[in-house]
Amino acid sequence: MEHKGHGTTEKSHINVIPIGNVDALAVSVVAANLQSLMGLNAARLPKHPDPEYAYLPLRSQYAAGAIIKTLESLDKGARFNLGIVQCDLCTPILKFVFGESQLGGKAAVISLFRLQDKDSSRVYLRAAKISLHETGHLLGIAHCHSRDCLMAFVSNVEKLDTLPSRFCSACKYEISRSVKHLFG
Amino acid sequence: MKFATRIMIVDDEEMICEALQAWFLRDGYQVATALSGPEALRVIEKSPADIYLVDIKMPGMDGIEFLSRLKQLQPNAVVAMMTAHGTVQTAVEAMKRGAMDYFCKPFDPDELSLFMERLLANKALREENSALKELLTERYDGFSEAFIAHSDPMRAIFAKIEEVAVSSAPVLITGETGVGKDMVAKAIHFRSDRSCGPFLAVNCGALSESLLESELFGHEKGAFTGAVKARRGRLEMADNGTLFLDEVGEISTKMQVSLLRALEEKNFLRLGGSQPISSDFRLISATHRDLPSLIKENLFREDFYYRINVITIDVPPLRERLEDIPVLADHFLKRICQETGKSLEGFTQKALSLLTEYGWQGNIRELRNVVERAVVIAKGRMIGAEELTFLNPRPDAGPIGAKTLRELEIDQIKAALDLCNGNIVRASRRLGIDRSTLMRKMKRYQLDR
Repeated sequence: MEHKGHGTTEKSHINVIPIGNVDALAVSVVAANLQSLMGLNAARLPKHPDPEYAYLPLRSQYAAGAIIKTLESLDKGARFNLGIVQCDLCTPILKFVFGESQLGGKAAVISLFRLQDKDSSRVYLRAAKISLHETGHLLGIAHCHSRDCLMAFVSNVEKLDTLPSRFCSACKYEISRSVKHLFG
Repeated sequence: MKFATRIMIVDDEEMICEALQAWFLRDGYQVATALSGPEALRVIEKSPADIYLVDIKMPGMDGIEFLSRLKQLQPNAVVAMMTAHGTVQTAVEAMKRGAMDYFCKPFDPDELSLFMERLLANKALREENSALKELLTERYDGFSEAFIAHSDPMRAIFAKIEEVAVSSAPVLITGETGVGKDMVAKAIHFRSDRSCGPFLAVNCGALSESLLESELFGHEKGAFTGAVKARRGRLEMADNGTLFLDEVGEISTKMQVSLLRALEEKNFLRLGGSQPISSDFRLISATHRDLPSLIKENLFREDFYYRINVITIDVPPLRERLEDIPVLADHFLKRICQETGKSLEGFTQKALSLLTEYGWQGNIRELRNVVERAVVIAKGRMIGAEELTFLNPRPDAGPIGAKTLRELEIDQIKAALDLCNGNIVRASRRLGIDRSTLMRKMKRYQLDR
């Protein structure tokens, strides 16, 4: 059963899809933030199976690219698909990633694996930031040079925690221009 | 500016190429990939990159050999080698052949980020070094705009400039207003053996006949009212250098006679003077007018025409080299962002389409004006279609090529006179030309007041 962000009958812009066993509250927090900070109607979809097809035995990690390819092929009515996994993600060139997306594409995935903390609210906040960042890429926005913007590139959780939960005015303008262009 | 930085990834593993491409695209770079050294070299011939990331272990031509070949084509290329199997030996070999850095995949995200910062800093240093060298040799940096071009017509122009620069023959540069005729003139001067000498430019269309005469030939003290001291003219000041007569088509036939004599005899008198003055200069002229037509109308002397037109360079209008618009627009964007302190990354695809579809009657000058305006009103990180809504075709433009330049000039004069209720002084100010120039044009085109 699909859950719309606000229980409206408006068409969804982005599906938030837990893949494997993922904290349901994290999924809700991500959907709510996509709605409030980006103005995207986010639908929470039912859990998808574990992404065993993406497992890389040599690295003991999961290939983000393979998961994105699967998400890209899903047609669940929304323009974008954002997957959330609990497992550790990597790419061919990076030892690990918090998230991965297609610039201007359809699909993105984030991982909660390296966002863990004793304080669960910190985990949810980190998940929200990464989701907003990766969704920004889906809207065609590249990394921002401003350190006070969610589109800034961060390589570790310490830097992630210092990022504010907002976009700079220029990125905000670009996001709203992109959303308007895509959804009217 | 990342948007304008081109990265090429050379790796036989498609997955690596795709992953790196996706990463760098998200970081705002332009990215090309190649699955082998030979493929990369073919791409580089047409479209070289600024930074290369090259895998060492590739079948056929390995990364070290590719590096050597690349350095022959592009000595200043910034190259980093990558491998999954690093050894000290290969690292040393790569550095000896000119690689800037060496790293092992996969990277820690922090490492990749720092790594790119180092490469970019290196690239910036090389570019700064190059620019400083240009400054030291007193080359005019502003003429770089004429040379930001990938199109075939402009490559032909560059080749011609190299050819004509070595001779002293007079050159006539033709082309519409705003195509960069003055930049071409400067380029010829700075590539000639007169580059250490002066480059004197005179806009013949902006001055009245008497002022132009004084400007070119100079005057002695008391030659006319207001001549309180002697003054050297441009012909004299251009000795051992280049004299550039811009808008040479605006010179009166009387002035053409005086100039012709000076060009043929290589000496002349200042106004009010009696002592002949010699000057050895190279003459470059430019005009947007159709001089052969003016000759037929007896408005331009044929002997003067042949004197100034030993070599002709015709600079194409911007609409005939649409492929240059993105690079020119990006160049102006960088410049204007530097001047204004604004930080914009580039143009959206839609914006680039709009720029490419526009008619550009004002050519490069108009393009710069448009980019500057868009930068001022931009609120985001890119210039999009929203920032170019003012880019509407002019109501009187008509289809491109429907009117001749002469007809366009007549239209503009008529429009200015209508707007100013026939007042010639106001109309001349509106058109940005001297009152006597306007009167001369009105007489030429038989336009009633």
